[in-house]
Amino acid sequence: MAKKLMKGCEAIAEAAIQAGCRYFFGYPITPQNDIPEYMSLRLPQVGGCFLQAESELAAINMVYGAAGAGARVMTSSSSPGISLKQEGISTAAAAELPCVVVNMMRGGPGLGNIQASQGDYFQATKGGGHGDYHVIVYAPSSIQEAVGMMAKAFDVADEYRIPVMILADGLIGQMMEPVDMDQVGEVHLREKPWAATGYVPGGKKPRAVINSLYIETEDLDVLVSRLEARYEVIRQKEPMIETYKTEGAEYILCAYGTVARVCKAAVRILEEKGVKVGLVRPITLWPFPYDKVREAIAQESVKEALTVEVSSGQMVEDIRLAVNGIKPVQFMGKGGSRIPSAEEIAERIMEMRRA
Amino acid sequence: MRDYYVMLGGFGSGKSELALNMAVNKAAAGDCMLVDLDVINPYFRSTERADVLEAAGVELISPPYSMKKIEIMSLSPRVYAAFAPGEGTVFFDVGGDHVGAVAIGQYKPNFMKLPPEKLNVLFVINPRRPVAADFESASALLEKIQGVSRLQVTGFVNNANLAEETVPEHLLEGYEVVKQLSEATGIPVWGTCGTQEILDGFEKIVAEKQLDERFIGRRYPIRILMHRSWDKFLTEGL
Repeated sequence: MAKKLMKGCEAIAEAAIQAGCRYFFGYPITPQNDIPEYMSLRLPQVGGCFLQAESELAAINMVYGAAGAGARVMTSSSSPGISLKQEGISTAAAAELPCVVVNMMRGGPGLGNIQASQGDYFQATKGGGHGDYHVIVYAPSSIQEAVGMMAKAFDVADEYRIPVMILADGLIGQMMEPVDMDQVGEVHLREKPWAATGYVPGGKKPRAVINSLYIETEDLDVLVSRLEARYEVIRQKEPMIETYKTEGAEYILCAYGTVARVCKAAVRILEEKGVKVGLVRPITLWPFPYDKVREAIAQESVKEALTVEVSSGQMVEDIRLAVNGIKPVQFMGKGGSRIPSAEEIAERIMEMRRA
Repeated sequence: MRDYYVMLGGFGSGKSELALNMAVNKAAAGDCMLVDLDVINPYFRSTERADVLEAAGVELISPPYSMKKIEIMSLSPRVYAAFAPGEGTVFFDVGGDHVGAVAIGQYKPNFMKLPPEKLNVLFVINPRRPVAADFESASALLEKIQGVSRLQVTGFVNNANLAEETVPEHLLEGYEVVKQLSEATGIPVWGTCGTQEILDGFEKIVAEKQLDERFIGRRYPIRILMHRSWDKFLTEGL
C-alpha cells in the first residue's frame, strides 16, 4: 500500500483494525477524539462495533465484557479519562482479560490542558488502579512506530491475558505524517478457550467464569501468585529499548516517546560540536528495560546521564533504579506541557560538561 | 458585490491551506475576509495563522474562544457581516467531513440570496488522506457534505499531497479521482494545487500523458502556511 497522510490518532485506529480489533468503546476527550471518530466510521465497514459509552467508566466496563467474550477490543482516552478508567483496568488485570487501552497524554494534574505531556508515566507503570497488578506499556515515539506496535500490543495482550497500554501523547495523536500502513506487523489470532462464549449444559466445554472477586485469602493468593509468575516471565521476555549512538558516549540522554525524538536531534547537534552523546529510549515502560539502560550508562566512557521528560520527573526514578548509583543521573523537564527544544537539551549537556 | 468561496472537503484535505493562500493573494487586490467555521477541531484551523492573515490585511472571523485552548461549539454573530453589502472576496473555511460541514448549513438563506456566479463552493480532495482515497469514498463524502452543508458544490480541487514527501505523481492520482468525480457529477474541476515546484513537475506529466485540461483547471500555486511538520510542532505546540 502506498503511504498515506495520516493523523496519529487515525493511524493508530486503522492499525488496530488491521490487527484484528473489531470492538471499540470510548468516551470523547481531547486530544484523542480522532480515534473514536475514525473507529465509528471504519468499524461498521469491517463488521465490527463502535459504541460511544455514556462515560469512561461505562466504556472500560464494556471493554471488560467484550474481552471476557474473547473479542479483540480497544478503548482510548486522554489523561483525565484514563484516570476514570483505572478501576476497570485493575479489574480487567485481575480477571486476566486481554485488551488494549490507548492514552494520548495531555497536561495535568486534574483537567490540566489539551497540550502534549508525559505526566502519566507513574500512573501507567506503577499501577494506576488498586492492587498488585501490571499492564504492559508501550511508548511510541512516532506515528509509524505506533502503527507498527498495534499488532504486537493485541498479540501480547492475548498471550499473557493482560491489559496493554499504548502510552503516547497529544503530539503523536494530532501530528500528521506520511505513514506506511502496511507496517502494522504480523497478526496472530489465538484460540481463547477461557472466554465466556456461552455454556451448553452437557457440552464438552466447562463453564467459563470471568471474575475478580476472591473472598477467601487462599483463593486470592492463588490468583496473585499466578499473576506475579506471569509478570516475571514478562519482565524477562518483553522489555524493549532503542539505543542510539550509546557506545563509547560521554553522556547518555534518557527519554521516551516524542521527547526521545527531540533528544535524537540534540545528539546530532552535540555530535557536530564534537561531544559524544548517546540516547537510551525505553520502548516498553513496563516491563522497564533496566538491564539495557544500566549497560549503556555503566560504560566507562560515560560521565553522567540526563533524563528528559515533559513531566516533573517520573521515568527518571526508574533510570536511577537501573543505574543504582553507579553514575549520576540528572533530570531536565517540567510538568505541564512544555516540550524542550533540541538546542535547550544540547545546551544542558554543554553546561554539565562545563560543571 | 462580493465574491464568495466556500471550502468543503474531508479532514486534512487542505481546505484551510487553500483558503489561507487564496485570501492572502486576494487581499493584495482588495477587501478580503476569511470566516473560520471549524467548530469541531481545536487544532489545525485557519485561525492558527491569524498572524499571516493580519499581516496580509485579511479580516478574520473566528469562532469565539478559538485557539484559547478550550472548545465551545459556537459561531460568532459576526459571521453575518460576511453577507453585508460590500466589495472584495469572502472565504468560508469549513470544518472537515460532513460533521464539520454542518456548521455552514444554517447560512443557506444568506447564500441563496447571492447571484449564482458570485458563489464558488469548492470541494477539496486529497486522495492520500484515508477518507477520500478513491472515487467511491470521495463521492460518498461529497454526497454527505452537500447534504448537511445545504450547498451545491461548483468545483473540485485536486490537492493531492503527502506533506513534505509530496511528488508530482501524487497530483496524477488526484487527477484520476477528480476526473471520475467530474464525469460522474457534471461538476467542473476548478483547479489543481501544489507548491510551484510540484506544479512544474506535474506539468511535465500533463504533457507526457496528454491529460485532459478539463480535469486540471487552473494551476493554483500555494505556499505551505498550515501544515505542521514535526519541527513546527516542537516550536509552536499543538
